[in-house]
Amino acid sequence: MSHGSHTETHGPTYLWLAAVPLTLFLLLAWGLARYDLPWRGEVSWIPSLGVSLAFRIDGLSAQMLALITGIGTWIFVYASGYLAHEPRRGQLFAILILFMLAMIGAVTADNLVVLFLFWELTSITSFLLVGFNHEQASARAAARQALLITMGGGLALLGGLVLLGQMAGSWTLSGIVAAGPALVDDPRLPYALPLVLLGAFTKSAQFPFHFWLPNAMSAPTPVSAYLHSATMVKLGIYLMARLDPAFNDLLFWEVMLIGTGTVTAVWAAVLALRERDLKRILARSTVSALGTLTLLIGLPSPGAGLAVVAFLFAHALYKAPLFMVAGNIDHATGTRNIDHLMGLRRAMPLTAAAAVLAGLSMAGLPLSFGFVAKDAISIAKSEAEVLLLVSYATVFVNAIAVAVAGVAAIRVFWGPPESPRGQVHEVSWRMFVPPLAIVLLGIEFDFFPALADPLLLAAARTISPELGAVDLSAAYDLNVLLSATGMTAVVGLLFFLTWDRLHHALHRLHWLDRFGPAALYESLLNALTRIAAWQTRLLQHGRLSGYMRLTFLALLAMGAYIWLHTDSRVVLQWNWSTHAWAWIVACLLIVTGAGAALLLRDRLGVLMASGLVGYGSAVLFLFAGAPDLAFTQFAVETVLVVVAASVLPRYGRAVSRREPWRWVNGVLAVAAGAGTFLLLAHLQGLPVNTELADGFGRMSLPEAHGHNVVNVIIVDFRALDTLGEIVVVAFSLLAALPLLGGIRKGRTS
Amino acid sequence: MSLMLMLGISLTVAAGVLLALSRDLFRLIVGLAVLGSATNLIVFMAARPGSLIPPLVEAGTQQLSTAAANPLPQALVLTAIVIGFALLCFALVLGAWLAGNSAGDADQLRDAEPAATDAVKPPVLEP
Repeated sequence: MSHGSHTETHGPTYLWLAAVPLTLFLLLAWGLARYDLPWRGEVSWIPSLGVSLAFRIDGLSAQMLALITGIGTWIFVYASGYLAHEPRRGQLFAILILFMLAMIGAVTADNLVVLFLFWELTSITSFLLVGFNHEQASARAAARQALLITMGGGLALLGGLVLLGQMAGSWTLSGIVAAGPALVDDPRLPYALPLVLLGAFTKSAQFPFHFWLPNAMSAPTPVSAYLHSATMVKLGIYLMARLDPAFNDLLFWEVMLIGTGTVTAVWAAVLALRERDLKRILARSTVSALGTLTLLIGLPSPGAGLAVVAFLFAHALYKAPLFMVAGNIDHATGTRNIDHLMGLRRAMPLTAAAAVLAGLSMAGLPLSFGFVAKDAISIAKSEAEVLLLVSYATVFVNAIAVAVAGVAAIRVFWGPPESPRGQVHEVSWRMFVPPLAIVLLGIEFDFFPALADPLLLAAARTISPELGAVDLSAAYDLNVLLSATGMTAVVGLLFFLTWDRLHHALHRLHWLDRFGPAALYESLLNALTRIAAWQTRLLQHGRLSGYMRLTFLALLAMGAYIWLHTDSRVVLQWNWSTHAWAWIVACLLIVTGAGAALLLRDRLGVLMASGLVGYGSAVLFLFAGAPDLAFTQFAVETVLVVVAASVLPRYGRAVSRREPWRWVNGVLAVAAGAGTFLLLAHLQGLPVNTELADGFGRMSLPEAHGHNVVNVIIVDFRALDTLGEIVVVAFSLLAALPLLGGIRKGRTS
Repeated sequence: MSLMLMLGISLTVAAGVLLALSRDLFRLIVGLAVLGSATNLIVFMAARPGSLIPPLVEAGTQQLSTAAANPLPQALVLTAIVIGFALLCFALVLGAWLAGNSAGDADQLRDAEPAATDAVKPPVLEP
């Protein structure tokens, strides 16, 4: 971002792009008003694999869609202002649009494969957006971390979804939920559920994967507000909520969700106290909220669905504006460090107003939608009779939320103005209208519940089908609520006032970080590169004879494996044919040639000796009814020796140094020879199959009009193979030509 | 096929492997040539040749006489000889080109490996 440097970049602001989510939002609203949920659509895609583009929009999907398109509209307006000085803003908008479509696909997909594809697409677009400022090493590291963790979870999710699909016999989410109770006794469930939860936990930054989300704050602020608070990180919550009706009765599900959710909520709240960067404080509190959501899904009460839905909605409506506020402050002052931010309310009154209203909702104070959500949460918990520990934890988490709200809404805006660093002034309308609009929307929902209640209730019934008719916004149990709100408010105020002291106390414990999951991630990543380097050194050492040794060793191992697993008979016989004398001569030539090539030191001698092997083979072919082979071999061997002799001087003097690994080489050679002998002896015992040869012999003259059967096979029956052979020869010539040119010029080095 | 030939081919394979494992680039290529020849013989011998009569359809007859040699392994080996020849020619030229930098030492070929200065991969130590 171009903090401070206000060089105008010309070109489009892309404000009109906000019309895309707005249109989708209006379409959704119109659809909701006219048609009953759920809506379905299906297009066959890969029928052989049971993959179809199946989409299903029910209450939960509709609520997510409303968030994605509704908040998305304001995010696009905000981004056009925030990125006014960013020359690459076109790219960012393109990825944002892609992300939005992926997100819409993910929350509407019914088919498991389609869900997974869109799920991963959101991870990829998130990676691109987190690493948008790719000149910064920290942004690159954060992007890689977000990608590795969410994609690793995605892999687990794929495994879990495949298992669930097999168990339910249905490749749709709705089918799995319908089959839910029947799956409880399936032996594959203990594998499927942890895998699915791993996917959801990584995506929604649950402990111990919570650390990627604060680091993802290196993304531009519109991205943080949209992906990393309002939508993408809710995808894991969405999936868990969607599967909750099927598995809510399972103790494992309940324990995992409540346990992980509570730990995440508490730990992230503690970590929020350790941050000084406003955006990172907000990110920590987002993780805390995600933990609360996970905990709420795990609650077995019918009111839990309502609590999840209400809190999900409220959180998006206050956290996105708070991120925008942090972005505005960053834009205006050039810093997000709360130590340097004070008394901004005079300079930025409208941003301050948005911050205060969002803060009210975050603190769960009356007049805000957050209040409604808190109410729903209290009801859900009182119904579920949760552990006392969980209750205390939520009070603590809520109190920290109050304190964070205080920091973001009061601390930076009130008090005496910090000595002005440059001229701090209010940001452009495109940056203060969106947060104000979103928080005002939240307050409006509080006063006119009829606007949001039907949608929220429909969504809640997706999670808790047994939920009766409730009037969400009037369901206050005032006594419970006021005492709970009052207590959190008081404790929260305490945290807010002692924020700096707590921060310093926690800072003294920073040595504990070495044992945290973030440190584990780092050391795993380092181990990966170290192992890769070690293995590269081991295998790719640049010694050709080493590579050859490994190749022969592998060949021998494979041969030995096959030998040991074959029912093999070894047949040895002196089978003297009528031309035994010619075969003896050929054999002697071959063995003498091979032996001499081995023993001779002089390169020309080695070359000549190897020629003997070829000539010996030619003699053998000649006296085995294969004159064509014999002549070809004679010709080839002669030309080869000529070619070799012509480039021989370029090889310089023979290497006089001792061969390394001599004994290993010897053992390998002996093993190869023995293996060949066994192979040949085994061949002796097998019957000869002459079916093909007889067929060729029969058809050669009538069909191919050729007397020479070998020629006919090559140029007619197997003509395509021969074409391939010609191509190989031509390519080797083409490859050799430039090398020859290089040799002729002489190597300079 | 006689035991003698089996022994001969096995010895040739052993010699070829030993040559191919050599550190001298030229001997390595010669080793490949020897191994190629030996492999051709194995394929050829797999059909257990015994007849001296080439697989030619005699004039006046319509099909190959049963006394003639099996044409199939001959066609296979013929293809193999030509391809092996082409590859060996290329190997010889490539070897000559590489030898300019490495004095024909197959253990000094670094062209395809990461640079010795690469941070991840320290230089290779000489044995």
